[in-house]
Amino acid sequence: MSAMSLRSLNLPGVGTKYEFETDKGDTVAIFFTKTGTIQMYTLQKDCHTPSAAEMTPVEARRLGNILSGAIIEADQESVEIAFSALADLRVTIHSFLIPKAIAGRTIEDLQIRAKTGATVIAVCRHDRNIVNPPPAFVFETGDAALVIGESDQIRMFEREIMVE
Amino acid sequence: MEGIVLALFVCLLLALITKYLSVPAIPFYILAGVLLGKAGLGLVTSDVISRFFSDMGLIFLLFFMGLGLKPERIAANRSAVLTSGIIDLNVNMIIGFVGAYLLGFSIMESLIVASAFYISSTAMAITSLIENRKLMLREAETVIWLMVFEDLILIIFLAIISAGNQNLIVFLVKILGVLAVLYALAHYGKEFLISILDRDDELPIIFTFAAVLTTASFSMYLGVPETMMVIALGVAFATTDPDAFEQHARPFKDVFLVVFFVFFGVTIDFSGGVNWYMITIICLLAIVSKLISGILTGIFIHGSALSGLEIWGNTIGRGEFSIAIAVLYGSSIVGTTIAAMVIVTSIIGSFTAKYSTSLRRGIMHFGRKKSPPHRVHLGR
Repeated sequence: MSAMSLRSLNLPGVGTKYEFETDKGDTVAIFFTKTGTIQMYTLQKDCHTPSAAEMTPVEARRLGNILSGAIIEADQESVEIAFSALADLRVTIHSFLIPKAIAGRTIEDLQIRAKTGATVIAVCRHDRNIVNPPPAFVFETGDAALVIGESDQIRMFEREIMVE
Repeated sequence: MEGIVLALFVCLLLALITKYLSVPAIPFYILAGVLLGKAGLGLVTSDVISRFFSDMGLIFLLFFMGLGLKPERIAANRSAVLTSGIIDLNVNMIIGFVGAYLLGFSIMESLIVASAFYISSTAMAITSLIENRKLMLREAETVIWLMVFEDLILIIFLAIISAGNQNLIVFLVKILGVLAVLYALAHYGKEFLISILDRDDELPIIFTFAAVLTTASFSMYLGVPETMMVIALGVAFATTDPDAFEQHARPFKDVFLVVFFVFFGVTIDFSGGVNWYMITIICLLAIVSKLISGILTGIFIHGSALSGLEIWGNTIGRGEFSIAIAVLYGSSIVGTTIAAMVIVTSIIGSFTAKYSTSLRRGIMHFGRKKSPPHRVHLGR
């Protein structure tokens, strides 16, 4: 339904407020304060004391990702970027935890590009990031791989590579 | 010079402690000043340097206030701002003035005490709303606009008082002239200003500092006080990129204001005798009178006296602007009284702000047991 109307309001000295009421009559309000923190309030219908959470910008972005449905599991994050100026080009970046089955194998050996069309653009290993790993890069268990491609290619990667 | 260093070091410690306890720092800076200065240990005395720093503190405080004052926004919210603002102004000014006059202050002194008595601390009110997570309460918006209205009244008050024995009309025309020139500069130089503010080197911060100081220094030639000049500059600059100006002016404001508060404490002098009886009465009145104006505002705006309790809880603290009035126009005895009022109200205010919601809930429960249930008000 289109009943949801988002109101935004500039509060002098405080920051910007966004507020909307859900179909069920609950109210959600977000404040971007001048101190740099973000406060989210929810007020249940027929209730008069809101509950509040204060977030850093990073936490707020994470919440945004969860709400927009981008995260499938906690360790599998996915972001879709659409470039409206480039004929609505859409690319997805998805993170995968490398399973035991493919540990010890290289990117070349797995034929990732040929089989799926997707590309591994970065690998995170023990809190260290390897950006643009070479074809001879050997995966280890515990690695988190960042894969870029169209959503079909990402799905193919999940089906073809992750189960080997 | 060592005095300033010692004072700043003590303030740094106090800032750490008050931030940790989340209580306002201003009363403790003043208390530290009192302890270190004339009335206390006599370790720190005010000198040319500290006076210059204090001046800067006041100038940047007022420049900031001007930046936040967007006339078109106030016009858009006229009715809400006016009702609460006028209640607050009348109740507190009258109680403050009559109280001070009956306690033996002269008419002029009573007027100054009443103004300091009237104006709540914007910084404390806003910090309290954010830190106590009260932004969504419908009273929060009322408090925010109340602070804007009080700032406006403060400007008018500063204008009238600082006119001194000049012709008031001529003086106001001069101020409007200054404002018009600054507005024109901001309007026609907008692109230039923004191009400077957008740079990521040291230029924006140098420019902001220089613009504020230059404008303040023109006051000598125009017969318009520095205070008015920098507020006008802030209002004019607010039409360009106020957030950028706030960001670049904030470091100066933060540091110089601390010096301003602590040296206000340093210069407080108890040698003329302190009338504790008088001070106690003024402090009590300061708390009660905001309770009356808060409850009236709650009833008129939100239809609930309990809302007024919430407004009261967040506006008890007097702070930076009361001190500014004391520094600009107060005699020694007026200064001491205002200092005591700021210290007492801001400390009590930090507690009422924290516990006003529970207080309100307690009263509601109590009321429910005895009488039919109150109508529950939604947050809008």
